[in-house]
Amino acid sequence: MTELILQAVYSGLLQGGSYALIALGLALVFGAMKVINLAHGELVLLAAYIAYTVETKMGWNPAMAIPIAVLVVTATSALLYFVVGRIKTNREINSLTLTYGVGVILTNIVLMIWSADVRATSSSWMQEAFVVGELYSMRSEVLFFGVSIVLIVALWWWLSRSWYGRAVRAVSSNRDAAKLMGINPGRTELVSFLVAGLLAAFAGVALFSYGTITPATGSVLTVKAFIITVLAGIGSIPGVLIGAVLLGIAESLTVTLASSALQELAGMGLFLLVLFVMPNGLFGATRRRG
Amino acid sequence: MKKATSIVLAIMAAAGAGSATAEELLVGVQIPLTGPLARVGMGTNEGIRVAAEVFNKTNGKHTIRLVTVDDESAPAKAVAAVEKLASEGVVAVTGGYGSNNISPASDAANKLGLAYITSGGVDDGLVESGRKNFFRINNTAGYQKALVGLISDLGVKSVSIIYSTKDATAGLATNVQKTLAPKGIKVAMHAFDPAITDFKPIINKVKLQDRSEFIAMVGYENDYVGILRAARVLKPQAKAIAGVWSLATPKMAADFPDLMPNVYGTAVLPFPVNFTTPEGKTFGEGYKKLHNKEPDYLGQFGYVQSMLLFEAIARAADKGTLQKNGVAEEMRKTDRQTLIGRVQFDANGDNRNFTQRMGQHQGKQVVLVWPKESANGKPVFPGVPW
Repeated sequence: MTELILQAVYSGLLQGGSYALIALGLALVFGAMKVINLAHGELVLLAAYIAYTVETKMGWNPAMAIPIAVLVVTATSALLYFVVGRIKTNREINSLTLTYGVGVILTNIVLMIWSADVRATSSSWMQEAFVVGELYSMRSEVLFFGVSIVLIVALWWWLSRSWYGRAVRAVSSNRDAAKLMGINPGRTELVSFLVAGLLAAFAGVALFSYGTITPATGSVLTVKAFIITVLAGIGSIPGVLIGAVLLGIAESLTVTLASSALQELAGMGLFLLVLFVMPNGLFGATRRRG
Repeated sequence: MKKATSIVLAIMAAAGAGSATAEELLVGVQIPLTGPLARVGMGTNEGIRVAAEVFNKTNGKHTIRLVTVDDESAPAKAVAAVEKLASEGVVAVTGGYGSNNISPASDAANKLGLAYITSGGVDDGLVESGRKNFFRINNTAGYQKALVGLISDLGVKSVSIIYSTKDATAGLATNVQKTLAPKGIKVAMHAFDPAITDFKPIINKVKLQDRSEFIAMVGYENDYVGILRAARVLKPQAKAIAGVWSLATPKMAADFPDLMPNVYGTAVLPFPVNFTTPEGKTFGEGYKKLHNKEPDYLGQFGYVQSMLLFEAIARAADKGTLQKNGVAEEMRKTDRQTLIGRVQFDANGDNRNFTQRMGQHQGKQVVLVWPKESANGKPVFPGVPW
């Protein structure tokens, strides 16, 4: 039994790392602009399909697709910003509708270009077992768990130490006051969308390397990312990692100790419990200020 | 002026006479072309299109024109699609995928008096609800017979069934369990939510708790890939692994070469495909011409269901009973050999003759290994991809 539980915790930890990578971009834009980007999952998916194309057409390892994915996805993210940026009233609500629509368009573009077939990497290296004692995983899971940690630390550093990162936080906190301090809110928000696109590109390549993708995957990713963002507390980057890992481990332990049919229910149960006890999420604004 | 009017009238009369002899009949196609079921919907639709092409070439009297509406893999949209098709004057509906979409869609067709035929819903509830115009060419029982038959013939003593909680998959898994248990085979059940992506915790239970000789997967392509990857990492001591639909296909062999060796799955035909009947050859050639690729099982099912429907429509049109529920009546009289075997519909519209075969990925081929009378090779046993 101990062996089963240890493996479940290990699998949950790695799964949490992948959830965190997917959720980071959404959390950043949500925190910076109060825009829930419902097309975020589709941006991740776009990167995953770019990795698929690079692997099948060029015969390269999917990780080599990262530079191309970053270029394409950040450009798409910038376009999305220019569309969202045109909303002048009720931005929170109107952006929901708009990004949902963009998500549907992106899904159908993916469907037209890559068809509806199930895609996953055929790279043996990525799928090979990585064994630590009695714990098993795929190489790709460990690799991208590491990438996820590095990106979270880098994002946290960028937001707390760099000028642009501070500007993003300032705009998020009080747009008008930030303007008075000489910060260009439009440019700052564009930067946060570009960074979110970069994170989505990494997340997409990672997803293709250890999971399966279809054009319908995008909306599932958005929902998962949204749950983690709210669970973490708006604007908390370390909270995203902790929330994602908690979710991953809770799901994995549910499969091991109860039934795999209850996995999603356990995740939602955890989500509701945390919100009930801590309405601002695990690391929400009220808590941090306190 | 009088002469010009006569010419116009003559042209109009000629045009009217032309349309009367051609007798174009509209047939609705309600199918998922987008959403989670887009892949299987598109595959089935390819077969439906081939059926229309072949029918129109071989039947001189009637011409079928397909009117296709995407149901977006959603039950409400499936109902709306059937209603839209009815408003456009179709005489029957072919298509549908996913029992949860087919159920309300076929209800709508039933209320509108339209015959509805599918190969995409195996949930038994579909044929137990008293829909008089509903027909399907495959069912859970056919897949169950094949899976249980293979397990029995291989002589394994314990089986772990890993199944999706969707209606059709859960129903099939439960039926397989009920059939295996009286044979003295130990069965462990593992349900999984369709949203799950990491199967390692389940496979670890199979490895450390069940220690089964045989792993049966009842799910869909993305589930199979996840399960096989997890099994490849954890290496349970099973002697064989099998799945049901969408697994023993050349596409899976080409897309996932490391995961497929020795894996069993239900299969209508071996690969490379070798059609021996005249109808099979016509279908194979028509499919390649229209879609520029080798036919697969989805296309085959789409072709069979639609061809049977077109033939019934033609018979009803000949008898002048198209508007008097004649299509459903003619469907009930169907009794012929098809690409998937003999098809006859019972009072509930189910094809009780349906039996699947089991194929095994061997190299780049899919070899039929069960039943013996259809087999074109022997199973590699024990044999797993890891």
